[in-house]
Amino acid sequence: MTVAEVSTLSPAAEKLRERLGDSPMAARTSVADRDLPTIEVEPGDWPGLARFLRDDPGCQYDLFLDLCGVDNLRRRGQKTRFEAVVHLHSLSKNEHIRVRVPLDAANPSLPTVTDVYPASEWFEREAYDLYGFDFPGHPNLYRLLCHDAFVGHALRKDYAPGQRWFFAEEDMRIPEWAKNTDERAGHFETQTISIGPSHPATHGIIHLMARLDGEKIVRAETNIGYLHRCFEKMAETHHWNQVIPYADRLNYVSAMINGVGYVRTVEKMLGVEIPERGQLVRTILSEFSRIMDHCVCIGANLVDIGALTNFIYLYENRESIYDLLEACCGARLTVSYVRVGGLAIDVPDDFAVRCRGLLESIPKFLADVEKLVDNNRIVRNRLAGTGIVTKEQAIGWGMTGPMLRASGVPYDVRRARPYDFYDRFDWDVPIANDGDNFSRYLVRMEEMRQSLKIIRQALEILPEKGPVNSDDWRVVLPPKDAVYHDMESLIYHFKLVMEGIRVPAGERYEWIEGANGELGFYAVSDGRGGPYRLKVRPPCFPSMAAFEKMVVGGTVSDAVATLGTLNIIAGELDR
Amino acid sequence: MSGVIDVSRRIPEKLTFLQKLYIPEILRGMAVTLRHLLRNLANMRGLPTILYPEQKRDYSGRFRGKHILKTREDGTMKCVACFMCQQACPAECITIVAGEHPKLAYEKYPVVFDIDMLRCVFCGFCVDACPKDAIWMTRNYEMVFFSREDAVFSIDRLRETPEEVARHGYGYRPYYPGDGTTPPTDASLLPVLPGSGERDRLREEGIPLPERDPGPGPLNAPSQAAKIVRSP
Repeated sequence: MTVAEVSTLSPAAEKLRERLGDSPMAARTSVADRDLPTIEVEPGDWPGLARFLRDDPGCQYDLFLDLCGVDNLRRRGQKTRFEAVVHLHSLSKNEHIRVRVPLDAANPSLPTVTDVYPASEWFEREAYDLYGFDFPGHPNLYRLLCHDAFVGHALRKDYAPGQRWFFAEEDMRIPEWAKNTDERAGHFETQTISIGPSHPATHGIIHLMARLDGEKIVRAETNIGYLHRCFEKMAETHHWNQVIPYADRLNYVSAMINGVGYVRTVEKMLGVEIPERGQLVRTILSEFSRIMDHCVCIGANLVDIGALTNFIYLYENRESIYDLLEACCGARLTVSYVRVGGLAIDVPDDFAVRCRGLLESIPKFLADVEKLVDNNRIVRNRLAGTGIVTKEQAIGWGMTGPMLRASGVPYDVRRARPYDFYDRFDWDVPIANDGDNFSRYLVRMEEMRQSLKIIRQALEILPEKGPVNSDDWRVVLPPKDAVYHDMESLIYHFKLVMEGIRVPAGERYEWIEGANGELGFYAVSDGRGGPYRLKVRPPCFPSMAAFEKMVVGGTVSDAVATLGTLNIIAGELDR
Repeated sequence: MSGVIDVSRRIPEKLTFLQKLYIPEILRGMAVTLRHLLRNLANMRGLPTILYPEQKRDYSGRFRGKHILKTREDGTMKCVACFMCQQACPAECITIVAGEHPKLAYEKYPVVFDIDMLRCVFCGFCVDACPKDAIWMTRNYEMVFFSREDAVFSIDRLRETPEEVARHGYGYRPYYPGDGTTPPTDASLLPVLPGSGERDRLREEGIPLPERDPGPGPLNAPSQAAKIVRSP
């Protein structure tokens, strides 16, 4: 349906269609109404449309969230073999939209939009790597997640996953600028050094190539993918529920939030509602996970700059939260607690008591850390004024979460699009204006306090007893009692385990506030028991993409401090 | 719902002269750390760190550790080789070969039931999937192997033993005492169905029975290395 035609669209999509009427490529774009208003555009028009969507006062889709490919080879009713799917957000209008760019099999190519949305650089590299899309005009189009000796494009449906590609030292791609080491600049001979991949300060395996002039970094490039475990490819061969343990291993510091984000996507596709108690338990444990994530981030960051004690104090919180998670589901790190339609098992009887105990103990440690850090001159010198990201830069680089909030943008998914019960709670979104490392520390400390506030209110309305799971047995395993003694339940049980949940064909982008920012899951179903395509929008991916630009002009030690406040979780970054 | 708070003004932007002097701040910091030290000295038992392996952490009754295969009252395994756990396993670490049980009431049993503990992610999906209450988990998390073959646990090491349960205790399982669910009826206590009996007795009576499939032999997964294709 073209823009000119009259249609029965939802109000949001209709508004978008009207706005697009002013654009130069209006005749060649169409707006469809899916879970999000979806624009379909030809590859040639995409950069023009992107510029229009960003700059037009009626649109203002300024936050680039995600770009991913989809291979339609085994999907019915699709016109083209490939498509690129982009998700954008408008901070002023508080809206998400999707742009689909159909690409043909022979030449999957679409012009780059790195000049419009700097955040798209790494997303385009990823699509090039995994789908073989060409992005003419891209400044640095090399493989990102797979290594440089890899042959083929792993997420294409016709790629044989059993192949192994060996990587030898000589296959390592060294950027042109890094090869030449005797270039003279300023007083010192500049030199190129490698920080990482295995370096105590890189938090996971991340490789930073830096050209140094004395101690100042004049150019840098990051190289990731060392922890790439083919999450998205694995998801395509598993049932919807079986993806949950894999999702745990994305951001393994706050595994619970990943699980909640993933199952919410599937539940929305199915239209399943889970009981209040189940939602509240998820909320409480997600907020505890967020505290844990911030504890790890701040603790590790302070260790990097030489303050070991805080790390121990913050880890004691983490330890006690792990005890709570273990009492609920039996595992500490990779919890696998959520299921599509609810939880694996009801919480223990003393759940509320344990939570209240944690609400008592956590603030004490936070207060101790604040005493040690807030007015510490060394910490101030290392963190304040380093790694500065201005508001415009943060938006352009597609940052979300504490990174964006520390630069003064109060975008929090829990506030912008309240899910579960977040609109009922009384809590504040902490922001800071300086955008430096110290602001990020302050924002995270305050967020932990706000999380405690949310948990306290959630505990007040948590029903004492009641179901945590939906009673739709096409989605949730029937209770064991019924399975053992009742034939019909056993049949449902059997169908669910052997065939998986039948999710209606379609697509869905669902997003929640992860510990690092907007955690989005874009799922495509073809009606089978498992995902046809599952794309994660990892919140730390855009921050890491910007890292090589943030560190230029600072010293190596500033880069270490900055990397700490980005809160890079390699599992989520490399997937 | 509430507002937005600016935390950059929460603490003064500039340090005071005393704070810049280091020494008072160091003393203030020392007060915090010393308080922790003294409190921990007074309460050595409440320390968050433990002296593993002499001291073991007390995990909850839901801990997801090593699996056990439950047995019936007559000592046979509850597992009926329905392949549900093998299908539910996200790590694909369970291998089952089914055989026909001599006693007709049990019908099927696993000839081979292997769990590759190096592949296992201890998610508990197998316990959730089992319709016969045949696989549970224990709180045993100390599994040490010297080779990859060692890590593939067969029935011998998975079958429940009283010593193991006494030592580690049950972990993740489908029902807990007192939570309103009841275990399935023990099949060994069921009345013997008319016509059922021992396989051999039936054969003697001339009733045709299908030959038992010996299965594809020992089921240790062949090494991945053999399948590796070197790039041209």
